[in-house]
Amino acid sequence: MHELKIAEELIGIIIQVAESENLKKVTKVYIQFGKMIMIVPDVFRFVFESGVKGTIAKNAKLHLEILPVKFACKKCKEETEIDDLIFVCPRCGSNDLELIQGRETIIESIEGEKV
Amino acid sequence: MEIKIMKNVLDRNKNKANEVRALLMEKNVIMVNMISSPGAGKTTLLEKTLGHLKNKFKIAVIEGDIATDRDAQRLKNHGVPIVVINTEGGCHLDSHSISKVLPEFDLENLDVIFVENVGNLVCPSHFDLGETFKLAIVSTTEGDDKPIKYPMLFREAKVILLNKIDLIEYTNFNKPSFNKDLNNINGKVPLFEISCTKNTGMEKWFDWISKQISSK
Repeated sequence: MHELKIAEELIGIIIQVAESENLKKVTKVYIQFGKMIMIVPDVFRFVFESGVKGTIAKNAKLHLEILPVKFACKKCKEETEIDDLIFVCPRCGSNDLELIQGRETIIESIEGEKV
Repeated sequence: MEIKIMKNVLDRNKNKANEVRALLMEKNVIMVNMISSPGAGKTTLLEKTLGHLKNKFKIAVIEGDIATDRDAQRLKNHGVPIVVINTEGGCHLDSHSISKVLPEFDLENLDVIFVENVGNLVCPSHFDLGETFKLAIVSTTEGDDKPIKYPMLFREAKVILLNKIDLIEYTNFNKPSFNKDLNNINGKVPLFEISCTKNTGMEKWFDWISKQISSK
């Protein structure tokens, strides 16, 4: 249930930004999670919707994008996007890799209406 | 209207973890974040490791526990400083809870802090504590599919211990399959096969961890 803690932090950021921008309500929230974070979208939506009750972000629509895993091979520099979580460079077979995408927990933007 | 934010949702945890890491580096202390399922053998591993290393290094322990101090009770005979963090239902430790308890230790007189995280393979691997490295423990009785089901932890761990190796013949644990999955996820990670209760394979682990502490 890391979804709960991540949702708590997310809601804290949304409310802080919305207040500083004088929004009267938040209508949309755009977030991106890397696949390695293993967020279950339905669980995340549930805890998010429970958490925003009674705040200016109640009824905000959550746009959740899962980013695929990408790595760069440290030997041949090839960049590869993977589906199957096999961390082996398809070009040279090396397992000396740097993860360049897949563990993000990003809030991109929010939309809302001004006071 | 749209407001761009582009921020890591876990920034608060990450920033505090970086503060913890900087403090530990300044004091020349390493911190090991121990992660496993409940019952894989974290506390038994700590008991054996403290027994072996406590005369060689200055050690402290942070025990993450959902509600009790039972693990700490098991370790207290070793005479090393122990602090318990009760997460009160929380499924992982975070950097703020670590930062709060660090002042209880005399960091000037420590080499290593072992942090026993809450038993869970998912959540603890997503929250940086400011550790020097993560240690993953998996046991033969849990099944051989743990690396492929929980890739984040096995990708990020600096060392992996396969515990309860003495029980493997009573399980359907498929070692070639485990090794193949682990090799795909993290082909560079050292793996030690051990039995904490039977003292099998422990010397190699003690040597490895001793080297990490000595070369800090």
